[in-house]
Amino acid sequence: MTKIIAVHSYKGGTGKTSMSVNLAATFAKMGKKVCIFDLDFRAPSLFAILKAKDIETWFNDYLNNTCDINKTLIDMSSKITGPGKFYSSLANPATEAIRDMSSKDRKWEMHALGRLLALKDSLLKNDKFDYLIFDTSPGLQYSSINAIVAADYVIVATTGDRSDVDGTKRMLVELYNLFEKKTGLVLNKVLDPSITAKKTEMQNKIKNDYQVPLLGIMPCFCEILRNEGNLIFVQDKPDHPFTKILAEMAKKIENDEIT
Amino acid sequence: MIRNELSSRKPLNILEKIEESLEKLNDKIEVMIEIQKTNGGNNLKTIPTLPDASLDVMTLLSMPDHLRKTAMTICRCTKATAEEIASQTRRARAVESAYLNQLVIMGYLKKERKGRKAYFFIDRETQS
Repeated sequence: MTKIIAVHSYKGGTGKTSMSVNLAATFAKMGKKVCIFDLDFRAPSLFAILKAKDIETWFNDYLNNTCDINKTLIDMSSKITGPGKFYSSLANPATEAIRDMSSKDRKWEMHALGRLLALKDSLLKNDKFDYLIFDTSPGLQYSSINAIVAADYVIVATTGDRSDVDGTKRMLVELYNLFEKKTGLVLNKVLDPSITAKKTEMQNKIKNDYQVPLLGIMPCFCEILRNEGNLIFVQDKPDHPFTKILAEMAKKIENDEIT
Repeated sequence: MIRNELSSRKPLNILEKIEESLEKLNDKIEVMIEIQKTNGGNNLKTIPTLPDASLDVMTLLSMPDHLRKTAMTICRCTKATAEEIASQTRRARAVESAYLNQLVIMGYLKKERKGRKAYFFIDRETQS
C-alpha cells in the first residue's frame, strides 16, 4: 500500500515542487493527514511557497539526529479547507545549512537513509499519518536516492524536453528498476492540450517509451506560471483543470490503481 | 572432565547446544557455497572484507541484484532473522541466510545470536 511518495525528476524545472505541494494539499482536502518534506537541500524552496515563518527546527536537524521529527513539523492545516491535516517539514535555506548538507559523507547519508526509513514507525504507525510526500532534488543526488529507497511509490515528473526524456529513460532503467520501485510518470507542462484527450493512446505510448505506467498528463497552464508559486493552487482554484487532474492522480494513488 | 561436565547437564540442554552449533556450521557452509557460486569457486579472496563498511544508497546501487534485494530488505527491517527476510523477498530461508552472511563478511551487516535465533542488522551507530 502506498504511504510514502517521492516526487522526483531527472532535470530541474519539471514542476516537482508545485506537484508535491498541490498533491499533498489534494490529499489533505480529501480528509487525509499528510506531511510534505523538502529534501532539496541544495535549493530549498518549500519554505517560500508555504510562506513559513519563525522556524526553529528544520528537517536537516532531524536527519542530523539532533531532534525528533515532531519538532520539525509545522501544522499548516489552516491553509486548507476540509477535515484533513496538512503538515510540512522544511529544508533550511540558510547558505551555511546548504553548505553543510552538500559536504556530508557516505556514512552520514547511510544514517540519513535510516532516519527516513524510521518515519514509517514514528509518523505512519504512531502518529497515524496517511501520506508522507518527499519533494526531492533533481538527478542522482544522495538525498533524492535516499528518498526513492525509503518511498513506496515514486512519481517521476518529466517534460517534452529532449534531454529530459533521454535522461528520464536512463534513470528509470538504472535507478528505479534496480530498486524495484513502483513508479508512475507524470507528463508535465504539456504544450499541446489535445494530448490530454488521447489518454489511452498516451498511456500505451508512455508504457512503450518509458516502460512505466502513466499517472497523469498535466497541460502547461499559464495561470500557474504567472502565479510564481505564490499560492496552493488546488486550494485557491478548486475548479481549475489543474486541481481536477491532481485529484484524479490522488484518487489513483489512494485506490492503488497505479500499476 | 568433559564427561563430568556433560553428565551434570540436562540432556535437553546438550541437544540444544548441539543444534546451535550445527546451525552455526550450516551458516558457514551456506556462505562458502554462496562465495563459490559467485566466484566460480576459484577466487575466495575477491570478496571484499570491509569492517564497518557503510551500506549507503550508492553501495546498494553497485551491488549485484541478488544481494541488493536482501540488503534493501534489511534496511527496511532494521533487525531481522533470515526467515523474516525470506518472507519478504519470497526466497528460501537458506538462500537469504547465505546472502545475509555474505553481507556480514563484506562488513555491511552485523550478526548477533539470541538463543537459537541469529539476528542481522545494520550497526548505524558504529558506522556513523
